[in-house]
Amino acid sequence: MELTGKKYFLYGIAFALSFLLIGRLIQIQFMNQEEYGKESQKNSVKKITVTPARGLMYDRTGKLLVDNKPSYSLTITPAQFDTSTILEISQLVDMQSDEIKSRLSEAKGTNRFNPVKIKRDIDFKVISYIEENRDKFRGIDFQVESLRTYPNKFKASHIFGYNGEITEKLLENQVGSYYKQGDIIGATALEKSYENYLRGEKGFKFILVDVRGREVASLNNGNSDIKPINGTDLILSVDAELQEYAEKLLGKRRGAIVAIDPRNGEVLCLVSKPDFDLSVFSGSVDSKIFSMLINDESKPLFNRAIQSKYPPGSTWKPMMSLVGLASGVITTHSTISCEGSFTWGGRTWEDHGAYGPISVVTALEKSANVFFYKLGLKVGLDNFDKYSKMFNFGIRTGIDLPNETNGLLPSEEYYKRIFPKGWSQGILINLGIGQGELLVSPVQLAAYTAAISMNGLYNQPHLVKKFRNPITGEEEKNNYASKTIDFPQSYFDAVKKGMYLVVNGNGTAKNIKNSEYDISGKTGTAQNPNGNNHSWFIGFAPFNDPQIAVCVLGENAGWGNQFAAPMAAAIIVRYLSKNSQDTWNENAKIEVKD
Amino acid sequence: MSSRILNRFDLITVSLAIGILAIGLIAVYSATYSNGLDLFYKQLGFAIFGIILMIAILYIPPRYISNFSLWFYIFTIVLLVLVLFIGKRIGGNRSWFSLGGFGVQPSEFAKVATVLMLSSFLSSEEKERSIKNPFTFLKAVGIVLIPVALIMKQPDMGTAIVFSSFILPIFLWSGLSFYALIAIISPIIIAALAFFKPEYFYVALGITFIIMLLFRKKLYLTIFLTIINFSAGYSVGFLYSKLQPHQQTRIMAVINPSSDPLGTGYNVIQSKVAIGSGGFWGKGLLQGTQTQLKFIPEQWTDFIFCVIGEELGFIGASFLIILFLALLLRFLSNASSSKNKFLGMACVGFASIILFHLVINVGMTIGIMPVIGIPLPLVSYGVSSLLSFMIMLGLSMNTYRNRNILN
Repeated sequence: MELTGKKYFLYGIAFALSFLLIGRLIQIQFMNQEEYGKESQKNSVKKITVTPARGLMYDRTGKLLVDNKPSYSLTITPAQFDTSTILEISQLVDMQSDEIKSRLSEAKGTNRFNPVKIKRDIDFKVISYIEENRDKFRGIDFQVESLRTYPNKFKASHIFGYNGEITEKLLENQVGSYYKQGDIIGATALEKSYENYLRGEKGFKFILVDVRGREVASLNNGNSDIKPINGTDLILSVDAELQEYAEKLLGKRRGAIVAIDPRNGEVLCLVSKPDFDLSVFSGSVDSKIFSMLINDESKPLFNRAIQSKYPPGSTWKPMMSLVGLASGVITTHSTISCEGSFTWGGRTWEDHGAYGPISVVTALEKSANVFFYKLGLKVGLDNFDKYSKMFNFGIRTGIDLPNETNGLLPSEEYYKRIFPKGWSQGILINLGIGQGELLVSPVQLAAYTAAISMNGLYNQPHLVKKFRNPITGEEEKNNYASKTIDFPQSYFDAVKKGMYLVVNGNGTAKNIKNSEYDISGKTGTAQNPNGNNHSWFIGFAPFNDPQIAVCVLGENAGWGNQFAAPMAAAIIVRYLSKNSQDTWNENAKIEVKD
Repeated sequence: MSSRILNRFDLITVSLAIGILAIGLIAVYSATYSNGLDLFYKQLGFAIFGIILMIAILYIPPRYISNFSLWFYIFTIVLLVLVLFIGKRIGGNRSWFSLGGFGVQPSEFAKVATVLMLSSFLSSEEKERSIKNPFTFLKAVGIVLIPVALIMKQPDMGTAIVFSSFILPIFLWSGLSFYALIAIISPIIIAALAFFKPEYFYVALGITFIIMLLFRKKLYLTIFLTIINFSAGYSVGFLYSKLQPHQQTRIMAVINPSSDPLGTGYNVIQSKVAIGSGGFWGKGLLQGTQTQLKFIPEQWTDFIFCVIGEELGFIGASFLIILFLALLLRFLSNASSSKNKFLGMACVGFASIILFHLVINVGMTIGIMPVIGIPLPLVSYGVSSLLSFMIMLGLSMNTYRNRNILN
């Protein structure tokens, strides 16, 4: 049969080719086994990742804020480790030998050729000793890492942020495949926001290694290596001296300070207290200290300046005035009568004074509650939401830090959700004076103050001013968003005049009047169901040429003019006097006013 | 098991398949366990699914398979067109569909579909349907060229080349004479020889001339074919010199990887060291320095044979090749014992594909074949490839079961 012949022909081909493969295996696994065996023992090309130096951070004057220092981590490769040396190693690096054993057993079940990190930040003397005794200490090696150092006295922990080993979740969800297990990545604040700038690009070294993983030589004299590209440096808008001053002022209290240059949105200082020492997170993180920070009820890891939301209290009144003017409910000259209390729907709301019929300017100066109770009712929720949203209330300011809060600008849908059985217009009475369901963050208030001072120019607050290439020194500006809130100039004039009189007229913060720099602003005392009132102040200066806008929050610190206003004034004077004046007086006696 | 069951159930194929799958799973485990067991469990799950699929195919009546071939072929062609537009781009190739977390590679299934289509076409009872008829011959070549063109568009050269493996064996099985076979392949072999080893050019020309004479065909035909062989060998160098320099270097990199030691050559050098250093007994499972130190990237796919060569040594590596050889012989004996022309032809086609994969893949890791990225059947990690080979096994078992049924 014809097919039988063809079958044997195909059999022949299958046999011939299979034995060709087996023949070749005999050749390389028998005859040349020794040669390849040696090769595998000795010179194998290995691709080693070279981590670039992370970008540095400087302040607006060029002062170094965040630096790197090299450090060495001790590693043990289990497959090559001679356990009889464990005692000597433990003495060298000052660890219990049980501790080393437990580190190694944590890595059990993984590749025994992967080096296990035993201790970070090893003394250089230890490294030299081990290096000299390589043959004795098999499987012991080092990894060079760079650790962050902070050369200044202040902390700025919520500005810089810290780095850490990449989490498994991030590793899985990354776009592309840049990050590998064990890589360091920005975890919080600017380190996180600008990770792509700061990290640089990894390089690769091709080296010849022996079976113990020891480097024998570099391949091709290093000509095939790909050099790492160091991270881009960040030049911050922060003024280091002002930051230090602001941190000193808040001291051990709980609160936040945000200062912005209203002309361009550059953040001059940003403080959230209590804070923490960033160097705790540099190098191996002590789990005890970390859990202490996590569990601290004062929440030091939390950035109050951008992540916390509070009722704004009377600092809301300039916003409310603009809502009234823009919606046409009042004019800059119309008056509302203020009798000392306000009764609506069978309930009475109190005020601290009776002023008679007053205009919006006087209402701001006196912080007249009745004026704003009535105004709240008149404007209605839709106008309230529409115009407040223009100043980014209820939405983020877009500051270049992660996890900013939206705050809460209550809408119709919101009330439908929380009061499914219906609600009364009475909620607008509380909203009129910045109480009720409304919540804002300090950075939202600072940016809004800046926008008022600039007659409606709203700049996205940002901490990074420029990027600098560490090799060429070339600088590139950081882009930020800018918008104009298009109200007639007379509205801003009226509101700013009111804020001017708060400090310079017969207003609630005349205690901070400064003859050299005309400060304008608004106090706030926000009621708080969980304790003493929060003390607020928002302000800007100089009146005719605003260069700084500030928001100060003191959690449970009482009246606005008692705590927040003098502190804001001190910040403003400090900045405008180029860090030469200090008006802060811890023990000043101040008559309480809102 | 009683002999009556064995008469219907191809236990040899099943045993060989399980043996090869087991070695593959061990190798995948060794190559990937340090990065977690996800890949291993996925491969294990699909191996079990593949065995079920294989058994299910065993029970399909051959007539249905033949009728179904055209639709299966059209379906895979549609998928190959679709993948060019909505496929996932991986490493510059657009050859994958992402389907619920799994990558599906239609080109793997197109191999099976094309073999079935070609066999169904050539086994048709119509009278003029003989491979000796030039029109039938051209139509048959066309059936293969359509998927090849689409796969080259992805571009996935490795898989496209696989399609060249089964054309001639199927033609031969369907009635092409040995003389015609030699007439077709001798110019290719002589051209290749002339290019790489010009000193053997005239020797090869002489040998083919003598072989053709032995067939005792008309002398002028043999002389005419020898002239064609001569001009093929003579013109190949000239054609190469007409190529652009970057095209020449690309060809050279495939043929001689050591010309590019950091690219494809890196893998070949490392895989030779890994396999060579394994020696007779191997370094032991999970003990291979080259494997565990990850000298070869992604060695659970195309370079999986290194893991076997290094950790299981010559014993393990040659045992695997013997298992493959036995499986191939079983395919061919199933083909020749079958009265069903269609299934017989398909089995020959499948055997050719498996042999081609085996020789190219293993040959590449031991430095005797160019680096063409195709998987080792049933061993390399990869869902589509695994399932398409399991379908081939199922069809071979079906051929055995129905060997006495004409159609």
